[in-house]
Amino acid sequence: MSTPGFAGKILLVNLTTKEIKALDTEKYESYGGGHGTSTALFWEYCVAPGDWDLQDAFHPKNMVSLMTGAVSGTGVPAGARTSVSGLSPQCYPIQWFCHSNFGGMFSAWLKMAGWDGVAVIGRAESPVYINIVDDKVTLEDAKALWGLTSWECQEEIWKRTGVRYGQEWQESDGRYTLQRPAIVTIGPAGENMTRVASLIHGGGSGAGQGGFGGVFGSKNLKAIAVVGTKGIKIAHPKGLKDARDWFDKNWPPGPGFGGFGPQSIGSACVGCGTVRMCHNRDRAWSQDSDDCAESTWFSHTPENETRDRQQIQRDNLKGTDIVQQLGINGMETCFMGPMSFPTDHNPDFPIQPNVPAYTALGWYMKKMYDMGVIGPGTKYDVSPLKMEDFSKPEFMEIYGIALANRFGIGDLLAEGTARFAEKLGRTDDFNTLCRLTMWGYQDHWSMPGVDWAYGNLMDSRDINSHDMGMGKPFSFGGGGGGDWTCERFVKAMAERTTKSDPFWFDYSWQGKQAYDTGIYSKHKAEFVAWRQHYWNYYKESVGFCDWGYAKLFSAAHPKGYGHTPEAEPRYLNAITGRNHTFQDGLEIGRRGWNLKRAIFVLQGRHRNMENFTGYYYRPGASYCGYATELPIYDGSNWDWQNCRELYLTKEGVDQWKDHFYNIEGWDKDTGYPKRKTLEDLGMKHVADLLQANNRLGSA
Amino acid sequence: MDKSGEGKKKGLQENKYTRRDFLTVGGTALAGGALAVYSPTKTEAKEEEYPLSTRYLVYDSKHCAGCYGCMIACSLVHEGVVNLSLSRIQVHRAVLDEYPFDIQINVCRQCPEPLCVENCPTGACHISAENGNIRMIDAEKCIGCMTCIESCPFIPHRTIWNHVTGKAIKCDMCADTPYYNKKGGINGTQACVEACPANALKVVTEIPDQTDINGYDRDLQPPRKATPDFPFALPKAKAKSKE
Repeated sequence: MSTPGFAGKILLVNLTTKEIKALDTEKYESYGGGHGTSTALFWEYCVAPGDWDLQDAFHPKNMVSLMTGAVSGTGVPAGARTSVSGLSPQCYPIQWFCHSNFGGMFSAWLKMAGWDGVAVIGRAESPVYINIVDDKVTLEDAKALWGLTSWECQEEIWKRTGVRYGQEWQESDGRYTLQRPAIVTIGPAGENMTRVASLIHGGGSGAGQGGFGGVFGSKNLKAIAVVGTKGIKIAHPKGLKDARDWFDKNWPPGPGFGGFGPQSIGSACVGCGTVRMCHNRDRAWSQDSDDCAESTWFSHTPENETRDRQQIQRDNLKGTDIVQQLGINGMETCFMGPMSFPTDHNPDFPIQPNVPAYTALGWYMKKMYDMGVIGPGTKYDVSPLKMEDFSKPEFMEIYGIALANRFGIGDLLAEGTARFAEKLGRTDDFNTLCRLTMWGYQDHWSMPGVDWAYGNLMDSRDINSHDMGMGKPFSFGGGGGGDWTCERFVKAMAERTTKSDPFWFDYSWQGKQAYDTGIYSKHKAEFVAWRQHYWNYYKESVGFCDWGYAKLFSAAHPKGYGHTPEAEPRYLNAITGRNHTFQDGLEIGRRGWNLKRAIFVLQGRHRNMENFTGYYYRPGASYCGYATELPIYDGSNWDWQNCRELYLTKEGVDQWKDHFYNIEGWDKDTGYPKRKTLEDLGMKHVADLLQANNRLGSA
Repeated sequence: MDKSGEGKKKGLQENKYTRRDFLTVGGTALAGGALAVYSPTKTEAKEEEYPLSTRYLVYDSKHCAGCYGCMIACSLVHEGVVNLSLSRIQVHRAVLDEYPFDIQINVCRQCPEPLCVENCPTGACHISAENGNIRMIDAEKCIGCMTCIESCPFIPHRTIWNHVTGKAIKCDMCADTPYYNKKGGINGTQACVEACPANALKVVTEIPDQTDINGYDRDLQPPRKATPDFPFALPKAKAKSKE
């Protein structure tokens, strides 16, 4: 019998053999659900058999799994994410085991149908979609859906049922629902196996990073539709309701994310709305789309500045809808250049000619054109794009369609920025012209908050962790901090980690202090490990949203407390009936993180590969920082300092890696996990396989 | 297609119903999946007067966030599980439909002349004097005949089938909530109202206008301020230089 909060079954679909199986969730519960469970499944079905090289994300043997967590569908705010896992076609140069996630209704609907997740392997002979109505699972013909946008596909699947949703009660085995299926689908970008394709659910809940839309496409899988009529068992219903009340009382909801003007009407993922409303109901303001990353897809070209502000926003949000419909990763393919725009947060943001910041595919393509690398006189024809129209809104639509369908220059662009540059023979650009992190992802505020950068280095993608901005403006909501001295701030933060080490938040980056307590110290390595374990369990496995968790500090709280570390176990224990501490969750996260490390190692990961792209080691490395005023300890006092000039040294990073591998129980020379580490986590079988492949760390 | 979420069944289109229009349903069995199929037969109306409910749940469909928090809270405090099928308020979000028709909210209207009460053969569905005349279902008396479900004149019906207990349930303003640590009912709080992050639900004491949906679907928002741009602030439009 499964634990409350879990449905009890995981759906395994083999598209090659058309076999549909129900796996027992209980077997994988010790990995925490979500990404942890997906990692365990990947190990069992893709790694342990040892029958392929784990290098090609488009290989039929790759498993893509969509997994819920214990909080999914229970009404816990910021708890509606669906985790997506598998080998990633976007990762560069190796297509690492990776993860993404999306919000909306899908995770709740899946659990209410009685499934904790869906894992898909194999490749269908022709396009199909998976249709789930409670226990009934069928593979449906999707030939007529192939070529449709993500929105059209969903509308068509809804139409096929012939039900007047919301008005007709539909029956399933004596139970009834008014709801239409929740659908996750791909657009043309996924069908054409671009490496920048998203999974799209609803209007714009999307899993972009990782390129898992292309993995769906490689499997001839157009969509997964689910509707359920079952309940989610809650161990302590009163406790869950009380936990929600306690949360709202202590951290009252602030203004939502949605709101591009007073006409905009926000919407929210299932059970959320307390933390933010990240979407819009009004199609004029981008239908149900994330107001953040995608809404910047077509923005910030200098020419925009001459247009009306409202019109700029409308064009940007029209671009958002295009991205969602085509199923493109908006962040990877957007038009942002080297921070050539001021923001309210950084009005004097410098333009750094040698180390650009936040450069994406659209901007890089234009730069290549301007430099004569592509376009007339070169072997790279840029049609169907008219570069003279680059700043016009109509350009973005043609650019998106070309990319999603691999038309003309779109075929090259569909490979993503890193492989596009490689094709042009310009991988040196990663260090100079375009700011690309070590695994082929755009830099995304990873500096000067070095823990984000270190997280990127040890994981396989931009970890996209907005949760713990240490910058003064970020932490205080731009309010200046009141009487929160720097020392008081770091001590409050430290207390909430449960480890009470204020040096976890020291960003000293020069001289001896950097090695003693700052960015190369054991303290910083411990914090990054803590954060990765937190992330692996509470966010990617339990299902908490990055915009809500973790939160160590809240200026609105009288003691400065954020809701971490109390909210997580409070919610989870009410749901599951367990009596887990916050630390118990971190240990579950550490387990999944180490299993993932073992997969990386078998894919080829080695300490020697874990190096930052060159620009991290040069002045200007932090010029893309969002909030640059960070806590610094000078040996006797704490104070805020602007760390805009922060950059790393190779010696320092090597020192940090020594600390980090040691803390994780990995071999200092190779970065391979040690047998003791794995066995202590109950994963002897993993140690055995690493040893058989000569990838086990020395004791 | 009626996008209001307050569609009415044939014979009640104009909402000019009187007690003479009361309907009952012949038979108690329902074919699977046919809950929305309605085959009324007119019977002689009863002549008693019904006291008005003293509480009504009203909603703001234009500002609802579509998060289903109200439905989750409802099933949680009443049934102890999260199950949208057991929620006594039913929200349906058609995420790709045009605003404001993308969300339908269906609440029990606490009808002034309640057919569910009228037609219940056992008196399970009743008007509760001790709970401010709310129309409630006594689970002890309910025999699961579904007459109240079939009698509800609105589409979708607001009396709900509980497949776990085999009985009907309906909104009781949280008067009977075994999994709620707060006092519900007419002098207490309602879990759905409490859970709503958009202030889109409210309990009122005045009977809403019964002539159309606007009595129940109303603007519940305070005057709205423009929200800040976050995290990206777009540049201010530059005035073109005359030079």
